[in-house]
Amino acid sequence: MSPITSQSRFTPSRRALLLGGAGFGALTLAACGGFVNDDDGGGSGDESGSGDGGGTVTAYLSTEQNTGIEPLVEPFTADSGVELDITSVAVPDMNQQLAVQLSSGTAADIFRVSPGYSSNVAAGVLGSGGDLLDLSDAAWAASIDDGTRALSDVDGKTFAFPVARNSLVMAYNLAVFDELGLEPPTTWTELLEVCQALTDSGRTAISHGLSGGAIYLQFYVYILAGTLLYGPNPDLDAQMRAGETSFTDEPGWTEVFTKYLELRDKGYFTDGALGVSPDQAMQDLATGAAGMTVLSNSGLPALYEYSETGAEAFSILAMPAGDDADATLMPTAPDFLAVNAAAANPDGARALLEFLAEPANVETYASALAVLPGLDVGAQVDNPALEPVLPLVDAGRTVSYANYLWPNGDVQQTMLQSGQQLYADEITIADLLTQMDAEYAKGTP
Amino acid sequence: MTSAVTTATSPRTTGPTPSGRSGRLTPGGVPYALLLPAFVLYAMVVLYPTLSGAVYAFTDWTGRADGTNFVGWANFGEIFSDVAARSALRNSLIIAVSVTVVQTLVGLALALALHTSLVTRNVLRTLFFAPALLPPVIIAFLWTFILTPQGPLNTVLRGLGLDLLAQNWLGDSSLALWTVIGVVIWQSAGLTMVIYLAGLQGIPTELNESAALDGASWWQRTRLVTVPLLIPATTVAMSLTLISSLKLFDQVFAMTGGGPGYATETLSVIMYKEAFVSGRFGYSTAIALVLTMIVFAFTMVQLGALRRFDVDR
Repeated sequence: MSPITSQSRFTPSRRALLLGGAGFGALTLAACGGFVNDDDGGGSGDESGSGDGGGTVTAYLSTEQNTGIEPLVEPFTADSGVELDITSVAVPDMNQQLAVQLSSGTAADIFRVSPGYSSNVAAGVLGSGGDLLDLSDAAWAASIDDGTRALSDVDGKTFAFPVARNSLVMAYNLAVFDELGLEPPTTWTELLEVCQALTDSGRTAISHGLSGGAIYLQFYVYILAGTLLYGPNPDLDAQMRAGETSFTDEPGWTEVFTKYLELRDKGYFTDGALGVSPDQAMQDLATGAAGMTVLSNSGLPALYEYSETGAEAFSILAMPAGDDADATLMPTAPDFLAVNAAAANPDGARALLEFLAEPANVETYASALAVLPGLDVGAQVDNPALEPVLPLVDAGRTVSYANYLWPNGDVQQTMLQSGQQLYADEITIADLLTQMDAEYAKGTP
Repeated sequence: MTSAVTTATSPRTTGPTPSGRSGRLTPGGVPYALLLPAFVLYAMVVLYPTLSGAVYAFTDWTGRADGTNFVGWANFGEIFSDVAARSALRNSLIIAVSVTVVQTLVGLALALALHTSLVTRNVLRTLFFAPALLPPVIIAFLWTFILTPQGPLNTVLRGLGLDLLAQNWLGDSSLALWTVIGVVIWQSAGLTMVIYLAGLQGIPTELNESAALDGASWWQRTRLVTVPLLIPATTVAMSLTLISSLKLFDQVFAMTGGGPGYATETLSVIMYKEAFVSGRFGYSTAIALVLTMIVFAFTMVQLGALRRFDVDR
């Protein structure tokens, strides 16, 4: 009854089998070859990175970096004769892929790295591991400010180029503020008053989306910690590294999370924020369903996309954390590029960084993204969106993101993941800080 | 004489021989040397990575070539002390059991309902099977949109006056895992249905007709004739479902990322996070090894159990 018997099976000829096997083998080897970065780039291959460049430079950039560098690609090629072969992905994807690419020898010549030790592909981690080219002798290295240098250097060697600086800001819907007659808050008390007015109008005061990894939770922590902790005590990182204090022992960390939860407890955040995506939170602000949200200023172009009137619909402010307006600090973070120690075209990569360091190009990049210049080369930012916070920048009232000098990326990951449990009241602030201390104690891998 | 007749009636004087040395191959004469290219490829892409992965499970490999140290059983010990790994292990087992049981029952019910002379049966089969043809990530994004607190599902529920049923489906840690399980079953039940339909079509109709003549009711025929004869299909359906649900990744990663907190972590998700987010490839490989052993053990137990119920037609 069985429809298939051994006698009726397909019996291919030996030649067909041999040809098929050989063809499959060839295809497999060809496919394997596709994983190997065999682009010699036309460069010298000289690992010192000296020389005159030429050929092609492969670049692995974040989507934001790609937007910023786009107007500079053709001028760079015309100026240097070096072609740019750019691949761009979102930062989380990049962070997850870069380590594997470096390990397998398939990484691009130049790529984005995280600042300090904030992930396993941060400048400090890769620099100390020998994966990055030492760029200390580049002319632009002298233009790195001290705050940035702490995140780009390892043992006095510069491993990263600050292509721009991002800031954590609070964006608000101008039409909603105008309708309710609200002024941008400059103190914590004023912020709570504005939130209450927005809530009373039937809106969400602060749109907040925590689904899919709680990325936006950290922004509140860095903003509050910047003003409450790192402002009064700039040596906090050194003290934590020395074991003199910890997340649990330093009362300021408890205050940071207490204030964050105060916004939740008063009903100012989006209802059911743990099930709301960051994109949805931005849409709520754009439609006027919410009055404010916190984001990195590099995310402003994405926010503008959600509004018919674009950038004109919004303004930004530095979110206050205390009641002394003059003490408010704005977290800023360098956005880095680094050169692969095993780059096929290190000269071309160096030439690209030198080109990006020219003041006019620094301005072009920063203006394209609504970000601050990465290098202190006297570049002027030509972007009205940043004007509300430029006085703080000019006055030096900025502070690094808190996590950049934590010894490993798992401290941040624990904060984000267990932070969701904190938001859901499943653990206490003390529990969270204890978990973060445990990850901190593991040190740098 | 016999030999002469055989030669005269066989046109293929150069046909297959027992040794397989002529132009075509026979089952008894396959030259094993021809298997070598396939075996080499299999060894390269499956055996070697698997075995080397087992070795890396005992190291602190960070994904970079240098500085890898042997750490003994430390990675395996951490799996059972790490809060994320413990949650992932528990969640993976909950998902495996609930998805396997419910999806099998739903698939069987659909198959029985559509193995009839219903005019629209082919249209309905296509509709129920369609979600299984879509990429899991697409399904996950669609449901993520539908299930947001202010999304279509809650809007409909509130519109019907069922406000109490409107929930934070993916943001409530007590609901999120079950929501993901529901989406997985919704997508894959059609596949189980197809397996059962194939099984049903292989059951001789005379058996049911005979039982009906003997006075058996529909329920008695289903329980005592159809279901026992569907054990081979059940074995296939449950095995595939068990394996896929134990290593569930796509829907979880796209819908919740393992959250809120650790509420929907699975072994596959933390395996990915440990390797590609934290750069702990050694620990991640240990998790993969544990997952492999769990899948193997569960599948063996399941196959053994189902074999006991198998019937000889």
